[in-house]
Amino acid sequence: MWFGLLVLASVAAGLIGAVSGMGGGVILIPVLTIAGVDIKQAIGISLISVVALSCGTAVNYVRGHLANLKVSAFLEVFAVIGALAGASITVVVSRRPLFLLCGFILLASWVILWKDWDRAWQSVRSPEEGSRRLILEGSYYDHVERRTVHYRGRRPLIGGALMVVAGLISGLLGIGASAFTVLIHDAVLGLPPKVSAATSNLIIGVMALAGASLYLEAGLIDSKLLAPVILGVLLGALLGSRLLTHLTNRVVLRILFSILPVLGVEMFIHGLWSR
Amino acid sequence: MRHVARMKRIADLDMEPLVSAILLRGIVLSVSLIVAGLAWQWVATGQFGINDILQGVNVFHFLLGDLHDVSVAGLHPDVLVDLGVITLLLIPYVRVLASVAYFAWVERQWLYTLLTSGVLFTLTYMLFFG
Repeated sequence: MWFGLLVLASVAAGLIGAVSGMGGGVILIPVLTIAGVDIKQAIGISLISVVALSCGTAVNYVRGHLANLKVSAFLEVFAVIGALAGASITVVVSRRPLFLLCGFILLASWVILWKDWDRAWQSVRSPEEGSRRLILEGSYYDHVERRTVHYRGRRPLIGGALMVVAGLISGLLGIGASAFTVLIHDAVLGLPPKVSAATSNLIIGVMALAGASLYLEAGLIDSKLLAPVILGVLLGALLGSRLLTHLTNRVVLRILFSILPVLGVEMFIHGLWSR
Repeated sequence: MRHVARMKRIADLDMEPLVSAILLRGIVLSVSLIVAGLAWQWVATGQFGINDILQGVNVFHFLLGDLHDVSVAGLHPDVLVDLGVITLLLIPYVRVLASVAYFAWVERQWLYTLLTSGVLFTLTYMLFFG
């Protein structure tokens, strides 16, 4: 019974994570904690689920050119540097104010970006020299619009600097920090929402892997829970990555905006629970 | 002549199909090991539950511990599930490794080779020596 419910919750987490780029922790962590799993173990399991989600979605996203491998390679280096720094100082930093601060940042971002809730994505017209040199551009065939969408990234250095912060948060709190990654892709780099979600899924896999290794070393991964979560998330990820190709950029953006405040509130709750 | 043909084949490689193939093979292997472990556990005990808290190990020691278990006690369901989890954890690592090789040998993009090498170095430290 418990095994089956966990698989179902994991399928839902994989599905939502795949179309939003924000990982599956938004569903898995509450489900696991309600079932009596310790919050730290729930975060550890959630991190490994993000690795599974990242791998499961990337098969379709990379093949369909939705995930941009150059954007991912460029931003990953900043993210892992941040994650390593965060993991190194995690023992001397109190987690409570950090969770509360992250919750505040996510809710504030949601409020600030709310006016753009229904906007149509527009391609960056004139990228700076840095973006051109880094070849932060690409194209994918949009099955809904029935045309090839060309796009370019912008402000790579600001994006890189913010990815260090996202990695730092990930390392400090042991979370995937996927909401920050999607926000950076969308609001700073100006990528199409579908590309943001797909590329974010690729990057959060590496960030979550770094975090998961720390939880593994701390003995906080319960393998009894891992198998159903991995199988469920992979199934959800494969279904969700097929679903994303049939959604419009506007719908993907709406999904992102709907999940952002939920994640913000979850961060607040973690903050109140953690010491 | 054969060398030239091989070099041309390498130059014609696309990164997306390469990365996608690595991910797909890794997932199939990981899922196969986990499902086999769970099925074996169910046949042996009538339950799916695997009771194995992983105590204070990095991925490298996790793998070494399981291989040691196999050499001492032979294969058993816990080990199969663990090997499936380890395979899953190594997929992003192998993906980054393939990216380094691709940027260096196929695209000859030195900036990206350097960037992905940085990611690979950090992940190697965290997974195997952290």
